[in-house]
Amino acid sequence: MGLYSLRHAHRSVKLGALLYLLVLGYAYVFAFLMVKTWSGLTPARVEATYLPTPGMEEMQMQMQSHATTQPLDLGQVPEMEHTVDTDQLIQDSHIHIMIYAIVAALLTLIILGLDWPAWWRDTVIVGAFGFGALDFAGQWLMKFGLGGFAWLTILSGWGMSLVYLIVLYSTIRALLPGRSAGSTP
Amino acid sequence: MTVIKLALAAAVLGTAAHPTPKVVLVKHADFIRQTLATARQYFVRTVSIGKQDLAAIRQTSDFTPADPDVQFFLGQGEGGATVGVVLFEQVDTPHGPIEVGLTFGPNGAVAHAMVTTATVETKPWVREAVASGLMDKFVGMRQGDDPRKTLQGLDGKLGGMPEYMAELIATAVGRGLVLYATLYKESAS
Repeated sequence: MGLYSLRHAHRSVKLGALLYLLVLGYAYVFAFLMVKTWSGLTPARVEATYLPTPGMEEMQMQMQSHATTQPLDLGQVPEMEHTVDTDQLIQDSHIHIMIYAIVAALLTLIILGLDWPAWWRDTVIVGAFGFGALDFAGQWLMKFGLGGFAWLTILSGWGMSLVYLIVLYSTIRALLPGRSAGSTP
Repeated sequence: MTVIKLALAAAVLGTAAHPTPKVVLVKHADFIRQTLATARQYFVRTVSIGKQDLAAIRQTSDFTPADPDVQFFLGQGEGGATVGVVLFEQVDTPHGPIEVGLTFGPNGAVAHAMVTTATVETKPWVREAVASGLMDKFVGMRQGDDPRKTLQGLDGKLGGMPEYMAELIATAVGRGLVLYATLYKESAS
């Protein structure tokens, strides 16, 4: 028994829940494209975006500078690598973690009306909040030099998507007429 | 069926972190080609900074290069003489990186200066700073000149963030002047 039933809620509540989820999915498509373009989807590219550059290791430097000159094909000139430094990550974190919390809270309002068993409801709520937090935890761990945590950021992103899909699927099932209530997806 | 379609549409969702996206205003290759227009062949010279030059850079300015390898892009004319050298210098800000392209002429002075990369957030501020004529003021500068003097004429003409961008651009130019003067040797192989 949920705390309220979306299936039996007022039509405006159902409409608001459905439209919120659809527009959130619309936004997620562009979020996916943005991440694909600027950060990458593989651990190597995500790691390269967040891991600090090695910097100067003066102990290993030679006394004199050393130059090598090679022919250049202008078609092969690389552009500046897109990286996220600590200042940028602070800026990204301060806004995104808050937005993630708001999105998770709104998803929770819908989840509370889905007539799920309590264990499943709590699991998905923890996922809704937890994956967003882990997403940035992974980024910060990479910023501290632990590049292997690119996986955490990637899996957290997919985890957030999974939570969204579960809630969307269950909401649509709850809104469709003639379905039995109370089942987990 | 509707459920499946919607689920499939949403299934393209991926990772969720949102890096501040950079905006390439001028591609590196285009900047090199445009500002070394008389060049017939191009070379890239990678200088691995040594301890002596690093000390000189630190003494001359208040920064340490982030990368121990600095790249110079050279253009050579018909007779093999160098017609110019291009360097891209990046400064990081809380709003994302800004990169300035600098072309040095055979006399060692700045021949061209252009902001080549900004971010979605900084692009309008950078554009406003550039529209004030800032970049032309760097032309002719060489090491020892103070790029921040170009900011004096901007007082009151720019808003807060565009003025901040102008300061960052001047910082990038100053660093570029130091790197070029310290690390670029015409005769280096």
